[in-house]
Amino acid sequence: MFRYNFIYELKLLLRSRWIQLLSILLLLLFGFSTINGKSKVVKREVDISVAKQEVEETDKAMLKLLDSVEQGLEVSVPSWTIPSSPMAVGNYHPRVAAMDPQPMAFISTGQADLFTHYIKPTVSGDDFALNFTEMTSPVQLLFGSFDLAFVIVYLLPLLIIAFTYNVLSSEKEQGSLRLLASQPISLRKWVFQKLMLRFFWLSLLVTLSLVVVILVAGVQPLQWSGILILLGLALCYMLFWFALAFLVNIFVDSSAKNAVSLIMLWVVFVLLMPSVLNQVGNTLYPIPSRTLMINEMREHKAEATKRQDEILDNFLRDHPEYAINDSTQSRNFYHRYMASQKVVKEELKPIVDAYETQLQKQQSWAQKLQWISPTIVVQESLSQLAGTSTADYGNYRKQVMAFAGQWRAYLTTFLYNNTPFSQKDYLSLPQFNYQAAKSNSVFTSMLVLLLIAILLIGFGFAVQGKTQQKGILSN
Amino acid sequence: MIITNNLTKQFGDFTAVDNLSLSVKEGEILCLLGANGAGKSTTINMLLGFLKPTSGAATINGLDVVKNELKTKEFITYIPENLMLYPTLTAIENLDYFSGIAGKKLSTETLIGFLREAGLQEDAFQKRISTFSKGMRQKVGIALALAKDTKVLLLDEPTSGLDPKASNEFGELLQKLKNKGVAVLMATHDLFRAKEVATHIGIMKNGKLRQQFVAEDISLPQLEKAYLDTMNHLEVMS
Repeated sequence: MFRYNFIYELKLLLRSRWIQLLSILLLLLFGFSTINGKSKVVKREVDISVAKQEVEETDKAMLKLLDSVEQGLEVSVPSWTIPSSPMAVGNYHPRVAAMDPQPMAFISTGQADLFTHYIKPTVSGDDFALNFTEMTSPVQLLFGSFDLAFVIVYLLPLLIIAFTYNVLSSEKEQGSLRLLASQPISLRKWVFQKLMLRFFWLSLLVTLSLVVVILVAGVQPLQWSGILILLGLALCYMLFWFALAFLVNIFVDSSAKNAVSLIMLWVVFVLLMPSVLNQVGNTLYPIPSRTLMINEMREHKAEATKRQDEILDNFLRDHPEYAINDSTQSRNFYHRYMASQKVVKEELKPIVDAYETQLQKQQSWAQKLQWISPTIVVQESLSQLAGTSTADYGNYRKQVMAFAGQWRAYLTTFLYNNTPFSQKDYLSLPQFNYQAAKSNSVFTSMLVLLLIAILLIGFGFAVQGKTQQKGILSN
Repeated sequence: MIITNNLTKQFGDFTAVDNLSLSVKEGEILCLLGANGAGKSTTINMLLGFLKPTSGAATINGLDVVKNELKTKEFITYIPENLMLYPTLTAIENLDYFSGIAGKKLSTETLIGFLREAGLQEDAFQKRISTFSKGMRQKVGIALALAKDTKVLLLDEPTSGLDPKASNEFGELLQKLKNKGVAVLMATHDLFRAKEVATHIGIMKNGKLRQQFVAEDISLPQLEKAYLDTMNHLEVMS
């Protein structure tokens, strides 16, 4: 039976012109979404490169100024910006802490439209007040980004529904089902074979369309492994939808009911479950207000400002390493300010930790329950593959915080030792290098999707369908 | 070849087929006559495994149709009232597909031979079924019976809606199959065609086989009278 189904399924598909239409549609969808995704990545790269270029230029100016200062020449800039002061370097010549786009970033915008991709932490700035969010168009937030992930997660299931909803019911409606059922074949097996063949042809189309689009859009050799993983994930997700279509085909009878049932499943898995999960997560683990946290921080700072001298004394007692080479014992505004900053940071730690813990709880809850909807699994996996997932931005944020600490510590040592910053120190300035997190959960996702699909198909074979119960063939 | 023994099918309180016992041997054509709802199609549906009998048994080629549903279908070709094939495939392709999934791997030449034997005109072999008349589609159905080397042919109102010439051609094809030893069970309203092609004729009413004749022993007027009598009198029994 398989050989004949294989040959004639293709003939039937080709002659129905449906496959031609589908191929064009897939190419257009993949093409547009890839170009859209690429353009966002390019914009991100340009933004980062412009920021780095700006730093390079200000660094050149800084080195010139340092040279003049070191030669004892007079410089015509405000005194607090002269780079021989470590605080001037720390505040007016910060490094760019950039989250460079990953090779597969174009496939999923993920959180990229919400968070910024570079920050310049200053020596006297607050880590808590580092602004990671980015202003985005509310229209884009409402509809999401039209990237490859959107096409695969949201639109591909709709194409599969259109491609599969009437495999058995159309036979009944066009009158060929009774002749078919009078052959020595199991109808369930026949439906399964037809669906698997459609899965095969659609997979081929998806693969070809993706390869064509990616080749046209330009791809780096290193990206091919990522593209293979993307393809594997897309195929596993498609198989899940084909398995659902198999169940609907054998348990429901008319084409209209099948189509409505599959659309309902799409609404449940693609729209409802992610939204419910989000709402329940917010209810179970409400995140404390960030505004309240910042207000509290300001209050602590104001309080600390009043007792800066006392704080500085305590600070230097606690941290003799900072002033080990200081022979002048000169103290100015920044000595007091930086010491009080450290105290404020320590005092605020429990509040910040509570905020972070609650956020982590909410995210870990969502992470655990993502398995109830393959859609969430795939969306999350694609974002991970693109390096734009919530976890990736969390990882970037942590690295920026650590770098800000490193930057501050490096320059604070100059401050408390009352040592001027010189040209020779320039090369030892801390640099930020973003390290992308490595995750193997994409493979777990593929495995889980495969398992769900196999279970659904197994259920379809194990449980008697409406076809036999209600005598679909007897009318 | 076809044997039913007290075959009964109930839908709730309604008895569609009531203790039906009949047999059709090799080379016999049994025409079941009866009004709509007499139980003719339900009988065929049970023989095809589309419906499970409430009680009684039916065998095809000695095999129980319930216990050996798929195996019995290897011997059967079924032609419904309106045989629908895949409209975008040609006659040869349809024949290749249906005989193929039934387990018969045949060459194109052999398939053409069967279509020719079924009386389909040569220029229609490569045409899509969407352009075919009902009579032409029935011929593809007969070609399928030939391709499957069928032992049992089940026909449900096959000549309904056919013009007299096509109906006559169909009758001739049935005679050919009968001569090849095929057992034919045909449900029909067409008394004339039944008298023409059948070796045996049964009249059904309310799920029961009320009268049964050897076709040779009864003239068309006698058959018509017996039919009308059966329809008009509830309890007339053979």
